[in-house]
Amino acid sequence: MKFFNRKNIQTIVLLLVISGLLFLAMSGYLTPIFNLTLNPLISMQRWLSVRYLSARDLLTTPSDVVQLRQQNALLESQVTQLQTQLIELEERLGEAQVCFALLDFGRTNPQYDYIAATVIGREISPFLQYIMIDKGTEDGVRYGMPVVTQQGLVGRVDAVIAGAARVKLISDSTSVVNVRLKSAEIEVQLQGSLTGDIFLDMIPLDETVELGDVVLTSGLGGNYPPNIFVGQVLSTQRRDNAIFQTASVQPIVDFTAINAVLVISNFQSVDVSPLIPEK
Amino acid sequence: MSHVVCALALLIFTVLQMTVFSRINLIAGSPDLVLLFIAAWSLQEHVKNAWLWTGVFGLIISVISAMPFYAPLIGYLGVVLISKLLQRRVWRVPILAMFIVTLLGTFFQQAVYIIVLQVSGSPISWLESLDSVVVPSVLLNLIFALPIFAVASELVSRIYPLEVEA
Repeated sequence: MKFFNRKNIQTIVLLLVISGLLFLAMSGYLTPIFNLTLNPLISMQRWLSVRYLSARDLLTTPSDVVQLRQQNALLESQVTQLQTQLIELEERLGEAQVCFALLDFGRTNPQYDYIAATVIGREISPFLQYIMIDKGTEDGVRYGMPVVTQQGLVGRVDAVIAGAARVKLISDSTSVVNVRLKSAEIEVQLQGSLTGDIFLDMIPLDETVELGDVVLTSGLGGNYPPNIFVGQVLSTQRRDNAIFQTASVQPIVDFTAINAVLVISNFQSVDVSPLIPEK
Repeated sequence: MSHVVCALALLIFTVLQMTVFSRINLIAGSPDLVLLFIAAWSLQEHVKNAWLWTGVFGLIISVISAMPFYAPLIGYLGVVLISKLLQRRVWRVPILAMFIVTLLGTFFQQAVYIIVLQVSGSPISWLESLDSVVVPSVLLNLIFALPIFAVASELVSRIYPLEVEA
């Protein structure tokens, strides 16, 4: 009967009490008691924690402001860098779009060889309509080569040096291009003017020119290849007692905003001036 | 020092003119920064090299430009001549002199261009040129005259500080 001694009985009773308490706690019967005892403890802990955090914030805020300012400055500099990168990428995108457009023109006119060039300047005198491009004899550019964009005819090379060339635009007052009207099937001359406007001259009076008619190069005269888009007829003018009528043309190329051009390198312009009888 | 500054300034203004200011158009006219700087530089009291550098850059621009070879040179030398003639007469009011030189110089330069182009066979008329090119160019040059004169005056005051202070 050694097992039922006093010590073992105390242990068994203790285990039974603990088991009973656990059973009651797990069954939820002791929740009111727990709430009664724990709630004041939690409230006190919350109060203490809030006061501690407030005190800590009060003591550590100055260093946080400095840190925040540093982070702000860092982020602002990053924003500035990103904005700069964005502008650069937008510029590159614009250049790429121009290149793609020029490439499209080359694909649609595969019979010609092209030299792509960037416009680097314009004529100083306002009386003349010329542009400077960054390709010259070293790149294969020669005098008289036609110059186009993805949209249409620009002009022809007027002067060339090793690394650059000067292009006379078709809007120059001394420029004359032989063109044809697509629907009217007539061949006329396109002339530039002092103001940069272009117009058709020498149109016979009996010909009917429709507004919006497409103007293409005719290839006559040997200066330009045929069938390059020039523009559309904007309006016609008939003067009393005049032998011919004229027509204003809306150029397809915006000459004030040309950034890149294509020089047609395999077109041989023909100098017909020796065939013109001297006056 | 004066030679270096004048040459560099003219070089910068020539490049700016060809790349940027030739695209600023009022009807068919455009400002001429080179002309304005030559006028402003020539009007400065201490400057003695205006003829030299105007001649040099007149030749350079003649080579670059599609105008007949001598036309820009004559135009710019004419501006220096007008500046020198006016320099002593209205020396007390240099800004006024600058505006007068800009006005007369632009008219002279454009007249030279018109005559040269007509002689070389361009179909341009005086009336159309006056309406579309000359008057707009004069207006634009008058607008830009003041800042260019300020730049030229500042450059001269830095080159000749002692003389200016005295």
